[in-house]
Amino acid sequence: MTAYNRRTLIVGVAVALVIGGGVSYFASSAPDGLEKFQEDLGSAAPPHPTVEAPPIAFQEYNFTWLGEGFWANAVAGVVGSLIVLAILLLVGYALKCRRPPVPRGGSAGS
Amino acid sequence: MHIASGFLSPPVWGTMAAVSGAALAGSLVVAKRHLDERRVPLMGVMGAFIFAAQMVNFPVLPGTSGHLGGGFLLAILLGAPLGMVAMTSVLVVQALVFQDGGLEALGANIFGMGVVPCLLGAAVRGLWLRPRPGRLADILTFAAGALGLVVSATGVILMLWLSGTLPSAVSLAKAVLVMDSVHLLIGMVEGVVSVLVVRFVLATRREAVLGTVEPLGAGEAAA
Repeated sequence: MTAYNRRTLIVGVAVALVIGGGVSYFASSAPDGLEKFQEDLGSAAPPHPTVEAPPIAFQEYNFTWLGEGFWANAVAGVVGSLIVLAILLLVGYALKCRRPPVPRGGSAGS
Repeated sequence: MHIASGFLSPPVWGTMAAVSGAALAGSLVVAKRHLDERRVPLMGVMGAFIFAAQMVNFPVLPGTSGHLGGGFLLAILLGAPLGMVAMTSVLVVQALVFQDGGLEALGANIFGMGVVPCLLGAAVRGLWLRPRPGRLADILTFAAGALGLVVSATGVILMLWLSGTLPSAVSLAKAVLVMDSVHLLIGMVEGVVSVLVVRFVLATRREAVLGTVEPLGAGEAAA
């Protein structure tokens, strides 16, 4: 891996983890625009059968083993961000077909 | 604006799943041509960033919060196809691991937070591929980011209406007005954050944003 890509990963992951693992704890707990709309106008109960993934380790962005609080939220933010990262790196490298590098005239962003 | 499980009727969620599935399939095919060595890591960390950013609900009105969508930003930085791939990953993880958004509503949620904002992001991406994006890029990006949330909010109301699950106390027009006004405020935050993040990533990772292969990159020739 090139130094360029390593730096992209390190800085990007650091920013994501600080936001997902730390800053998100201080997020507003008020319902979002759609939830509030549905609560206010009396259709909070779903009229159709519900299909939801079973809560295995997380509930409402809290790691269930830790209950609620800063660390329960931090684990959720960190684990969720890293799962997304892993999926995208796998998909990205799987999709990237091998092809000769395209020579470019001049350097980009000079 | 994740639609929870049980609010969409089978014809509606089925249709949205088909539409979003087709958009994702098309994106995966085209994405190959957009991918290069430097874009894969950028896509990975931007997806992780959007997952994290979506956890940060900010207050918009008393008792109401909002959070970033992110598909718009992803499409500006990565192009619409890779933006779709990244946004879909975020929404799938949210639905499968965090019970955020119903499983049957996944297609509808990908449409509202992926397809719509990615198309708008792609529309302004060209402005950022120029050598020196100016105020016009800021303003149009802000406006398109805000517009994306309003369009998606309208779409959500129409889906609920078609599903027969719109609250009976409210008319369709009133529902659209209420949802759109809240999401205009959220969209303005989306617009500002998108401009700031695009400027930061362009300043630090311009090569990865431009890519070595840009099939639609009219602006790139000048770079």
